Amino acid sequence: MQLKNVKLIYLREMRDQLRDRRTLFLIAVLPLLLYPLLGTSFFQLTQFLQKVEARVLVVGTRQLRSADWLPPLIRDNRFDLQLFDQPDWHDKIELYSPRDFPDLADDLRKGKSLPIAGAAPQASADEAAFDAAAKQLLDAGKVEAVLVFPNGFEDRLRDVRQALVQRKAAGATAFPEPIILYNSADDKSQVTQLRVDQILRRWRNEVTAENLTASNVPVEATTPFELRPRDMAQMQQRQAAVWSKVLPFFVFIWALTGAFYPAVDLCAGEKERGTLETLLTSPALRREIVWGKLLTVMTFSVVTALLNLGSLGMTGKFVIDNLSKSGAFGATEAMTMPPLTSLLWLAVALVPISALFSALCLACAAFARSTKEGQYYLMPIMLVTMPLMMLPMSPGVELNLGNSFIPVTGMVLLLRSVIEGQFALVLKFVWPVLGVTLICCLLAIRWAEEQFNRESVLFRESERLEIGRWLVHLVRDRQATPSFAQAALCVAIILITQFFVSLSAGMTGEFDFAFLAKAILVSQLACVFAPSILMTIMLTREPAKTLLLERTPRWSHLWLMAVLALALHPVVVAGANQITKIYPVPEATEQIAESIGSALDGAPHWLAALALMALLPALCEELAFRGFVLSGFRHVGHKWWAIALSAVAFGLVHTFLHQKISATMMGMIIGYVAVQTESIWPCVLLHTIHNSLQLSIHKLAQTAELNPSSPVGVLFGGESPLLYRTPSVLICAAVAAAILWRLHGVRYSRTVEEQLEEARQRQDSPLLGA
Amino acid sequence: MIEARNLSKAYADLHRGQFVALDGLSFTAKPGEVYGLLGPNGAGKTTALRILSTVLQPTGGTAIINGFDVVTQPSQVRAHIGFMSANTAVYDRMTAWEMVEYFGKLYGIDDERLRDRMEHLFDRLQMQEIRDLLGAKMSTGMKQKVSIARAIVHDPPVLIFDEATNGLDVLVARSLLEAVAELRDQGKCIIFSTHIMREAERLCNRVAIVHHGRLLAEGPIDELREKHAQHDLEDLFFDLIRANERRLAGAPAAN
Repeated sequence: MQLKNVKLIYLREMRDQLRDRRTLFLIAVLPLLLYPLLGTSFFQLTQFLQKVEARVLVVGTRQLRSADWLPPLIRDNRFDLQLFDQPDWHDKIELYSPRDFPDLADDLRKGKSLPIAGAAPQASADEAAFDAAAKQLLDAGKVEAVLVFPNGFEDRLRDVRQALVQRKAAGATAFPEPIILYNSADDKSQVTQLRVDQILRRWRNEVTAENLTASNVPVEATTPFELRPRDMAQMQQRQAAVWSKVLPFFVFIWALTGAFYPAVDLCAGEKERGTLETLLTSPALRREIVWGKLLTVMTFSVVTALLNLGSLGMTGKFVIDNLSKSGAFGATEAMTMPPLTSLLWLAVALVPISALFSALCLACAAFARSTKEGQYYLMPIMLVTMPLMMLPMSPGVELNLGNSFIPVTGMVLLLRSVIEGQFALVLKFVWPVLGVTLICCLLAIRWAEEQFNRESVLFRESERLEIGRWLVHLVRDRQATPSFAQAALCVAIILITQFFVSLSAGMTGEFDFAFLAKAILVSQLACVFAPSILMTIMLTREPAKTLLLERTPRWSHLWLMAVLALALHPVVVAGANQITKIYPVPEATEQIAESIGSALDGAPHWLAALALMALLPALCEELAFRGFVLSGFRHVGHKWWAIALSAVAFGLVHTFLHQKISATMMGMIIGYVAVQTESIWPCVLLHTIHNSLQLSIHKLAQTAELNPSSPVGVLFGGESPLLYRTPSVLICAAVAAAILWRLHGVRYSRTVEEQLEEARQRQDSPLLGA
Repeated sequence: MIEARNLSKAYADLHRGQFVALDGLSFTAKPGEVYGLLGPNGAGKTTALRILSTVLQPTGGTAIINGFDVVTQPSQVRAHIGFMSANTAVYDRMTAWEMVEYFGKLYGIDDERLRDRMEHLFDRLQMQEIRDLLGAKMSTGMKQKVSIARAIVHDPPVLIFDEATNGLDVLVARSLLEAVAELRDQGKCIIFSTHIMREAERLCNRVAIVHHGRLLAEGPIDELREKHAQHDLEDLFFDLIRANERRLAGAPAAN
């Protein structure tokens, strides 16, 4: 790959995009206009909201007017100004009396009677009529709330005061209650109720204070102490907490959007305009083309995100400044601008995320035949990436080793920790997060390159959807070994059948050996064996070659595999132990493992247990994953890619996380064995012995404990009885490595794609220096 | 020098099963000649030429262009050919000058030499007036000129024209043919595919008639006329195709 060409292509694509009015509008102009426009309309809205006034009908005020010993509640037909927290509401609440409504129902006009002292409040006919009249008034929208002072309210207040002054108990148990009637289904009514409620509470406090003064009791009698919670978070910290959740999501969404549209234009658009073939006939390598385009897409992704952030920031600052001046929000403190350092960190994290999104978009866009088709792929990309961006926003999700291995999510969490200033935590997890992001980037780029290398993608013609013909075509024109897509489909089918079988296989009765046997038989035969064998027979011309059954294995290989299995076991156990340290085994998993163990104890013969748990899975899984799936994946053109992919697929079909990880690692080794020996039997042997050792590890450990001087005893006795000693692990690892190295020298047959790739490598390598 | 050796290309096709677009096509084109590839639409001409330009991979056989193998040395092959077809468009948002300059740089020509070469080409092809015109604003004829300039900016020894006169009016087509003839006289090895017999007669030293991915006849036009006792090239072409179609239709019955 020549950097000169990448730069040339990059500069051309940039210029091309900058000359495209549509792209420029979307990337640069829209964000500059969008937020100011939104801000303006927000202002219009708040101004409109501020004009809204609340109307309250107050019934029974006559009694208050005559009582000049009470602190004032209503003055000049409004609530008293002293009673408001925010003075501007004083002018916004208008009070009405029943006289203002000439056609008011008599029930309302009369007012309401207090429940008689001591008697249970009854719903009288009068009361029902009163409520109905009030509801009618509220529903008609004439007032937002009705405040009722029941008849006798003032008398009751006077009684209470006198009782207090004369130091005797008040005569009644029921206090006179003013009532606020409102409609919670109506926002305005709800807000009015809250305001009126607040005013009445204030007024009540004033009444209490005056009562206490009149009776010579200090005011502190009612409130001996005040509660005063103090938030120890500094203002900056509080803001960081808010912004660190919102900003990454916002910026990354724009990074994705900013990557998508240029990607579609650069790939599908070029196909549509016929310029892609022109470029392909130039000496530029496909890889250089992909990198040039990728850098362009990435530039747009980063710039879009930054422009949006900048524009939002400017508008936000303006709006917030104005809002805090007018005091429209109580919580203006939480709404200041994010600190500059968080923005800088955000910009730093944006680069790898943009790279990942750009490569993803590029690969999808390369697949599309036209821009129209390209636009359809935005939704699937969003569906995949959105949950990854949303996950960190859910409460309780924190940066730990497990989360740092999740792409995008790990980066968002890391970013949050940086913004919040937890640098110790950041240092601990920065490498896994960066590593995972880098690996995902490389995979996505490789995928995009792959798309550009495929003729069927570059010169895709539109075809009618004819499922029948397509199925016929699949069987009629089958290849010697399965295609990459067929292998991937096989993995998907295995995963899906496993999912449904595990859903439908509810626990019925006891978890004994018979149940376990049934479960294993179904999951292995129906979910793994059947799909892969059926697909082999239907979709390949040479089933024996596909399943690696063509060649009889060499005895030397079989012996080697037996030794390899024995040597690998301590290494795998040690590895599994390390994994458990990172991801502690959930209790539920341990319980299941225990119940499987006890079910196996009930096996009729230990050989039956081994056949069920070791031989059967080894046979089925090897035929599926080293047979069909690996044969299909080897069409990618590089054996290590094929081995890695089949290993990941093999890991995926295992149930628990720990199994998934160790199975993936075992899958790498067995896959390598399959490629080098070209026979399934060494793989089956290796797998069976490994499974058997896993099953009997408890027995082995017991033997070792009972007899420490036996060969098994020398091996065992690490940190716990179930672990091998470190020296034995190291020796075994060396033996395993030696065996694998020996296999490396074996001549193996390459697929057509692999031969081609090697020929290309030979051709490209002298060019590197040029 | 182009040497196609037993080129084959098969696609998986929903309707026809394994569809053979090219079936063991072999031919040789020498420097200083225009080798005509004649055939009806769908004969496999475009497929063959795409393989020669390394955009497609053959499923069998190979081709050697100027000593480089199209399968294993694609980038060297691309550096030594100029390719122009009805499918290779010019960029809408680039001017004529920028477009040719871009490809010149991709071919690794140094700046000074590139400028001289381009001035020469722009004069020669009478493109000075469209120098700063965007591709989107060009007429078909102008685009065609830009494409020729783009294809020969690096002065390649081998040139491939795939139905390059498709959709051109008589004037533009004629000037293109003249340009090709001139390149031939400069000693380039040129492959020119077309289904218009008059063009082949005017231009080609030798022709190959291709149908269903197979070579039906090959040789200098005069030799072919004599051999098949048919003076008119179009009639000769028609007869060969008809005979081949009859043979293909009869073949399954014979089996």
